[in-house]
Amino acid sequence: MVAVLIGTATFVMMRSLPGDAAWRIAAGRYGYDNVDAAAADAVRAELGLDGPALPALLQWLGDLARFDFGNSLVTGQPIVDEIAHQLGASASLALVAVLLSLLIGPPLGILAGLRPGGLLDRVLLVVSTGIKAIPQFLLALVLIVVLAVQLRWLPAAGHGEARHFILPSLTLALGLAAVNARIARDAMARIADMPFWRFAKWKGLSERQTLMRHGLRNVSVPLITYLGLQFVTLVEGVIIMESIFGWPGIGHALVHAIFSRDVPMVQGTALVLGLGFVMVNALIDVAVRRLDPRVAA
Amino acid sequence: MSLLKAEDITVRDGPATLLEPLSLRLEPGEPLVILGETGSGKSLMAQAIMGTLPPGLEAKGQVGVGKHMLNAAAPQRFRGLWGREIGVLPQEPWLSLDPLMQARSQIAEAHRLVRGLDRPNATTRAEADLAALGLAGAANKYPHELSGGMAQRVAIAAARAGGARIVIADEPTKGLDAARRDDVARLLLSEMGQIGGLLIITHDLALARMVGGRMIVLRSGKIVEQGTTNQIFAAPQHPYTKELLAADPENWTPRQRAGSGQTVVSTSGLAVERAGQHLFSKITLDIHAGEVLGVTGPSGCGKSSLGDALLGLLKPAAGTITRGSEKHAFAFQKLYQDPVAAFPRKRTLGRTIYDTLTLSGGRPNEVDALLARLGLDPRLLARRPDAVSGGELQRVSLLRVLLRNPSFIVADEPTSRLDPITQAQVISLLTEIAAQDDVAVMLVSHDAALIRNTSDEVLDLGPHGVPDTFENATDVRVGT
Repeated sequence: MVAVLIGTATFVMMRSLPGDAAWRIAAGRYGYDNVDAAAADAVRAELGLDGPALPALLQWLGDLARFDFGNSLVTGQPIVDEIAHQLGASASLALVAVLLSLLIGPPLGILAGLRPGGLLDRVLLVVSTGIKAIPQFLLALVLIVVLAVQLRWLPAAGHGEARHFILPSLTLALGLAAVNARIARDAMARIADMPFWRFAKWKGLSERQTLMRHGLRNVSVPLITYLGLQFVTLVEGVIIMESIFGWPGIGHALVHAIFSRDVPMVQGTALVLGLGFVMVNALIDVAVRRLDPRVAA
Repeated sequence: MSLLKAEDITVRDGPATLLEPLSLRLEPGEPLVILGETGSGKSLMAQAIMGTLPPGLEAKGQVGVGKHMLNAAAPQRFRGLWGREIGVLPQEPWLSLDPLMQARSQIAEAHRLVRGLDRPNATTRAEADLAALGLAGAANKYPHELSGGMAQRVAIAAARAGGARIVIADEPTKGLDAARRDDVARLLLSEMGQIGGLLIITHDLALARMVGGRMIVLRSGKIVEQGTTNQIFAAPQHPYTKELLAADPENWTPRQRAGSGQTVVSTSGLAVERAGQHLFSKITLDIHAGEVLGVTGPSGCGKSSLGDALLGLLKPAAGTITRGSEKHAFAFQKLYQDPVAAFPRKRTLGRTIYDTLTLSGGRPNEVDALLARLGLDPRLLARRPDAVSGGELQRVSLLRVLLRNPSFIVADEPTSRLDPITQAQVISLLTEIAAQDDVAVMLVSHDAALIRNTSDEVLDLGPHGVPDTFENATDVRVGT
């Protein structure tokens, strides 16, 4: 169902984009300098781009049912191979970013939530709102300018070594952590105001024991639930980061496929991202169920 | 030797004295009840002894527990006593258990982290604690799978697992029905045993009477009377104590039956279900103008649902409801249990009241007349719902209901959150209105004594009133 919806939607959107698709595909294949009307016509004839839309869509869906994503219109390689290659690069970037954001956001949020209205709480509110308000590409550029260009600590772009991870994942993580921290802070402040928090102390537990045994688990439920929602932000961010830092991932590929009207490639990537969204949310539902017995009831 | 000695405890909020010097001793095996209404300072007293006063309040005095002597002015030192010497039974046991943790672990963690047992021993002890309280099967249950009574027993085991011999229970019976209240009293007494200490803070006269021991009656931060509980109940000395005991529904004078007027609402073979749960069936009743129908029974027996069905808020599963002689569309009104939740939070009471007046097309002097009749200060209307007392707010709710010129009022536990004296005032207003305005009233309460002494007809819904199936139900006929 998800696959059909995403496939159809991308197909319609790609068809309705302005510009001559054949021309763009030809440019993608041969480079902009080598394109002329003859090359575009050749592409048009080869791919049957003038044909009616509906049979083309139905054919794509039929192929999909046989797990055949087709070949890229530009490189001629099977889409499956291309995506499998790029997905690994994107997933590792996203994973590092999420882990990094969890190291930054929730601990600060919990500390702030333990003393609502305290200094840390107020500073954190300003900083997280500020970071959230900056568009991610701007944040990335600022980090590049400061850390790569001025201080020369880190490479501005590239892929392959561990240090190449730092800038793109840090940019993503800051955006995620800004929200994580708020969620953790609100959850912690709410929990610290609950009767069971007071009762844990009355039982004789110290502040630390109370936090470890009754705070963390309870905070993690809304945090993990929210992680599912953040996945959209994350995908968006990954696409931007990959373009800025030249990261050979699925987002980078998607942007290029759109530029060169590589419809099967766009459909394939969008489909993988869409199914990924469904899968991540399913996993999160399972995790929340395990953590919170009330949900299962 | 006393388990706990508190000497000259005072609590001040800046210049205002909230609790005047008070001393008490807690002896092993002899419960101590601190009885008082809201605002009497009874909870402040408990908080001062435990070192849990809210910030801004200052306590003075000495608290001796075992061999420790602590200064009430330095509350952080009390922390070491929690769980180890003093166990606190929280007001809302259900909310006081971690929702994500099994019952066993909530007890075992105190055995392990506070008493210092290793993990296997702590678990074994926790299971033994549960078994001793008749909860052997509940070890793996999460709080949402426990009933309120079970949660209370888990909480008391957890509160004492650190080794505490003294139990402080602050309003342990708030919002409980009579059967559950008696269970709690028995539980607390058996937990205390011969060597433990038990301090109960309550406004519940029935609980105080059941627990016995010694009693201190507090009013506005002052001790009014103290002595053994039996003696105070038998022969109260102070006028306030007398008034308080007279407000106990057990001691009310039964209502004189008024002549019944026209039938306002009647049912025949009524059955009600809620969320697929069968509540009761075959109820046939007639409610007449000027009459008070009392409905009682334990929690969950369908008292409120019966009211909702009569009001037309809930569709009956079987049977018929006939509403006779309705004066107008709004003649059937409901008085809610929690008046705070029944008013818009951020508007003054006056605005809400005058909006109602506009709706019913009445004249402003109607409000003034009702204010006087209900003994309300007109200045209250300038305040928001959270800035007046519960008793006053419930009377404002009654005023709002009366503005609609009702012929039938369902009062659903209207006083369960009020202190005894206030409760007596609100109930007597309600029954007076029934007689004077010729209004039919259905009064719902879990307090059987209250219902017995205020109602013309009584419908007891349970537990025998809850048959398994419609077919097995016996006919219940009231007032026909």
